[in-house]
Amino acid sequence: MTDRAPDPESPDKWEVQLRKGCLDLAILAVLWGGRLYGLEILRRLESDSDLVVSDGTVYPLLGRLKDLGLVLAEWEQLEAGHPRKYYSLTPAGEKRVRDMAATWTRFSSSMSRLLAPLEGEKK
Amino acid sequence: MTTTSDDAQQKTEAYLGRLRRRLRGLRDEHAGEIVEELRGHIAEKAAAGGGTAEAVSAALAALGSPEELASQYMTYELMARAEVSRSPLRILESLFRWASLSIAGFFVLMGTIAGYGVGGAFLLSAALKPFHPRTAGLWSLPSSNDCMDISLRLGFGSAPAGSHDLLGLWIVPVGIVVGCGLVTLTTRFAIWCAKQYRRTHGLERRS
Repeated sequence: MTDRAPDPESPDKWEVQLRKGCLDLAILAVLWGGRLYGLEILRRLESDSDLVVSDGTVYPLLGRLKDLGLVLAEWEQLEAGHPRKYYSLTPAGEKRVRDMAATWTRFSSSMSRLLAPLEGEKK
Repeated sequence: MTTTSDDAQQKTEAYLGRLRRRLRGLRDEHAGEIVEELRGHIAEKAAAGGGTAEAVSAALAALGSPEELASQYMTYELMARAEVSRSPLRILESLFRWASLSIAGFFVLMGTIAGYGVGGAFLLSAALKPFHPRTAGLWSLPSSNDCMDISLRLGFGSAPAGSHDLLGLWIVPVGIVVGCGLVTLTTRFAIWCAKQYRRTHGLERRS
């Protein structure tokens, strides 16, 4: 780990923190549609979001969500190839993602109101 | 273009071997599952990239270094366990891990060891006073530069000349209260630091 706190002056670091903060919600939201395995989750995040997630971030995070009881992990042995670990939302995970989505919607609409004057001044 | 070869296979296994070694401390079964899941991920991603040796290298690069990846798994696991168990031993185990990763962790570990050390000494003094009434307890000792040193004695050996017992039997209740207080405060301090660490690294426990 690095001990340097993210420089609040740097827009890049601010954006990294913002994306990182959304990742839990994004993963849970992707699983709303049904069970998926790690690589499918990554592909959905790549195709449906602007999050730019590294592969190495998602797997430990999935482990954490499982540890928190928000997702369930089940191994499935394929006829050919490596077994896959499928993740699905638990009832607690479903509740959490609904709560998080409601918070997100409230938050983003209030931010949009706040930022509306800036949009008007765009050249 | 190179086809998937033993070389690529070896690269994958070397990566997973390094990861596995870094996951020491997790339950064997858990570490094994992590490695199996990633082995499947690398194979499928490399196959989607054309199955070439370059595709394997790209899949490995996208995961980051095994050390960094293992650190994400381990740090969360250890911090989470410390937070849940609230046992000083678990907390110290987690802090040793943290101290190996950063200077901040090192100072938190030192502070925690000091807190537990002094708290433990108070508790031991209180516990041993009834057995060594003339030598255990909180004593003031003469020191060479005309100052008085205060020392928690556990009752071994004899009290040095010129020293005297400050609290007498009061060390029993005082030692228990101060000792328990210090251990509790130190535990809270360590958990608070662990939470700050988890929060700044996006590892926060939300339940």
